[in-house]
Amino acid sequence: MNRNISPTEQIFPADLLSKGHEELRDIPDDKLVTAYESMRDNEFAADHTYPNLRRLYGTSLEREKDRREIRQWAENCDAEMQEWYEKARNEPCTWWLQNHLVAKHALKSCIACGVCTSQCPAAQYYPEYNPRTIVDAVLSKSEDRLVELLKSDVLWYCGQCGSCKPLCPLENNLMGLISSLRFLAQLKGYHLHSVRGRQQYAMRHLCGGNLWNRACTLYFRNITAEGHPDFGPRYAKYQSEAEGQMVRLGANPDRPGHFGGRKFSPQTLAEFRSCLASGGTLVLWNQLEEYASEDARKSGVSIDEYHDRVHREG
Amino acid sequence: MAKPVCIIGGGVAGMQVALVLNSLRMPSVLVEKSPILGGRVPKLSRTFPFFNDDGFHDGKEFTDAMERDLRAAPLIDVRCNTVVSALRGDFPDFTVELGDGSSIAAGAVVVATGFTPFNPTSLKEYGYGAYPNVITATELEWMLNPRGPTGGRLVRPSDGKDAERLAIVFCVGSRNKRIGAPFCSRICCSYSTKQASTVMERNPKALVACFYMDVRTYDRGFEEMYSLAQERGVRYIRGRVSMCRQLPDASISVRAENTLLNRPFTGEFDLVSLSTGMRPCEGVNELARCLGITCGPDGFFLCREWFRHPHDATRDGVFLAGCATGMKPIRNCMIDGAAVAARVTALLGEATA
Amino acid sequence: MATSMIAPETIKEIPENDFFLTPSCILGAVNPGAEVLIGRIYDLLGLRWKAAGDRAESQCTCCTGFSSHGDLISIESTLLVTARLWSVAAEIGVENITTACVTSFAIHNECMEMYQHEPGLHERVDRWLQRACGRRLQIPKHVVHASDIMYRNREALAEKLRYRLVDHNTGRPLRIVDHVGCHYAKVFPEKSIGGSESCDVLAGLIRAWGGETVDYPERRHCCGMGFRQCAIRPNRGYSMACVLKKLESMEPWKPDAILTNCPGCNLILDKEQWAILQMTGVEYNIPTLSYTELAGLLLGWDPYEVVGIQGHTVPIEPLLDKLGIPYDKSKEWLTKENLEVT
Repeated sequence: MNRNISPTEQIFPADLLSKGHEELRDIPDDKLVTAYESMRDNEFAADHTYPNLRRLYGTSLEREKDRREIRQWAENCDAEMQEWYEKARNEPCTWWLQNHLVAKHALKSCIACGVCTSQCPAAQYYPEYNPRTIVDAVLSKSEDRLVELLKSDVLWYCGQCGSCKPLCPLENNLMGLISSLRFLAQLKGYHLHSVRGRQQYAMRHLCGGNLWNRACTLYFRNITAEGHPDFGPRYAKYQSEAEGQMVRLGANPDRPGHFGGRKFSPQTLAEFRSCLASGGTLVLWNQLEEYASEDARKSGVSIDEYHDRVHREG
Repeated sequence: MAKPVCIIGGGVAGMQVALVLNSLRMPSVLVEKSPILGGRVPKLSRTFPFFNDDGFHDGKEFTDAMERDLRAAPLIDVRCNTVVSALRGDFPDFTVELGDGSSIAAGAVVVATGFTPFNPTSLKEYGYGAYPNVITATELEWMLNPRGPTGGRLVRPSDGKDAERLAIVFCVGSRNKRIGAPFCSRICCSYSTKQASTVMERNPKALVACFYMDVRTYDRGFEEMYSLAQERGVRYIRGRVSMCRQLPDASISVRAENTLLNRPFTGEFDLVSLSTGMRPCEGVNELARCLGITCGPDGFFLCREWFRHPHDATRDGVFLAGCATGMKPIRNCMIDGAAVAARVTALLGEATA
Repeated sequence: MATSMIAPETIKEIPENDFFLTPSCILGAVNPGAEVLIGRIYDLLGLRWKAAGDRAESQCTCCTGFSSHGDLISIESTLLVTARLWSVAAEIGVENITTACVTSFAIHNECMEMYQHEPGLHERVDRWLQRACGRRLQIPKHVVHASDIMYRNREALAEKLRYRLVDHNTGRPLRIVDHVGCHYAKVFPEKSIGGSESCDVLAGLIRAWGGETVDYPERRHCCGMGFRQCAIRPNRGYSMACVLKKLESMEPWKPDAILTNCPGCNLILDKEQWAILQMTGVEYNIPTLSYTELAGLLLGWDPYEVVGIQGHTVPIEPLLDKLGIPYDKSKEWLTKENLEVT
């Protein structure tokens, strides 16, 4: 760890930051990880900030480092849930419905009354979306219908708002069921068959990358003006001075503290990662990488191009 | 002279028990807590039809006719404004204590205490109580009654103008595990269809939409009534209403899914009638305790034997008639009344032989 | 558990004091002042609270709610992460959790519910937690949303307000749309104040502080944030459509502002108004504030230095003018770059 060296003086492997996946491929796992970590934890003593965090997020370096790290962690993790999810991946969908913690309680019977669909904002927006059809597929217990559902775009329209939940006369949990089915779709790779499903690879590195590296689902620098022109020029102005505004308001951008943008200690990050791993999530993340790299290969693009593409498709 | 049968409840079922007992030369005391007899029937603008003819009867005409016979019957003692406060003793020697301090020696007790319509105020999604143009089926029925507040005209309570667009919402307070009422109230589809048909008959230009999950017009003549309603132009939309909201002009926006077309539906109506389901009579638990009988999981009184003695309560000498065991058409209340009268007479005959 | 037939507001217990405040990912990223304000308001009310111990650095990570609804996290990982947060709270001796985020609120409650109806889960998660990071599973006494605390103390706050929710020129009570987060009121309606349809958590604040609520048809419609729907750009049309639907529906009542308790709702309802202007030409310009921001403004705290209204796409200044709150526009931005802003 390089402490007390100013950002301008420190020598960090800046060339790594500009490399794409192809060029990083030959760098051994531990070298990649330690290079990343040394950049990450490099503190500028004068104001206790971590100036490299802004440079690291969203880069090919971070994604490649994540890939290697997740694989290592998963290999060394002997958690029960990791084994469970490995097993679940190879079982039929109907097995999942009976055994997954959320799915098995989500739906018992349905009178097709339609209150869920009538309140669903997605059903009003997407003409081909009808949540009752998901219920019907699940109740049919037909493996073919379930696979078809998991391969379709339809599974991905739900906004997880829960408007379907308070009025269901049979107390079903449609929102939880859909969430559970989406997890399964990714485990099995069915998400690759739909445009919306493929977007999960982008989500993996956006939210998943933030979680893994910053223990927080969103990082203030993710929400760029270029990526969010719909937010307007006032937002662009604010975002251009985000760090200063955050400090002014009492938040902690890229520095220790309790509020927005805070950087966690390596120990807290390790605990957090441990919880993620023990819950079996890394099985999903590894699978997402495998499927994405296959899909990228089939389309004849690099994994970085694939990542950018699924961010924009739809 | 045999001890009289004490009948609790002066609605049509109770009245029928008394009349049939009278014809079997059995005396009875009919105890009714309100000032008048007839229960909920006098306010009905129409009863169910006899097959397809427009032989709908006015509720009050019907109960007035029954009451005339009742008052003329020598063996019936009518006590209005009276409640039962305790039941002591055993079959066939009960002592029924009344709220006014007096008591009756009775050979048997018949519970004909009816039901209460569900109060939809607690289901906030319908806006009942908050929006003036959302009413209950009971209120709709009274509005349609020429004896009622508008002389039978369908109006919007918000401004008194004629209501041309009526939405009828089925299953309000029923078939809903979430609120602890998983049962079906059985009659609402039928009475709603009757109301819808009546509105269209009086105003062929009206727009009446019934929002249903199933149409359970099960009884004799009811399916024919359902067809007649549709021929008159009542629209049936298959989907449970999820929400009623008030628009700036106090019209109501109703949302449901049209599940046959797989499309969400939102429509504007002048008036929304909530076809409320049934709940047991008020104070059912205290009454059950007082009489020493039990209730079923749906809250209504339980019979001791499902097939052969469906009118026997779970205590010797206590019997059940009418909507006290769940909402049913008037005709079935009358049938119950006759069956109970026969059963009681037979048992009392045995016991005192 | 069935939603009871008893009025929901009689069921929810809101703790009085001693809170562990968990911050929000969205607020932290786009509206950081709004969550710092929670602490300031707790202080003003003399309430005892902690963010993550008295150390300079926080141990309070994300609850993974957004990622969970973004379908990236297994439910067991979420159970473990929340269990870890509960353990952090327990370590510093606090048993009441107040979340800044509404999705967190639903996630914590979902975890708590699972322990109740899944046999053996408690023991399993406790075991995993010990192996993962040496902590024990300790279910907190209460998990509420920070707006619940605000609701509970709304009268006490009303006494301290410098400004009321009225037009200071005419005395007319301002018409405020209350937009309650779906994950606050719909996922566990019995855990919200007033249930899912007649939720009172924001309406109560509006009334207590002098304003009027607005009942419009799409009042309980979701804002459309939708997690993956707003995070991935091609999906964002859905979010915009939801916002437009709500704005069109509330328009006849000419609301003066929208009040939110959910970070996601605030983000989307505020920011998509720009996109809607571009696409439809209609300028709704309805200021969209979170409950803490509104409280801060009415308490007379500096709009730019403390409340942070500059972070909003729809300018808040017109509302300040109505309220009679003075402000120094030159303090809005930190740099003097010329950027076309409207």
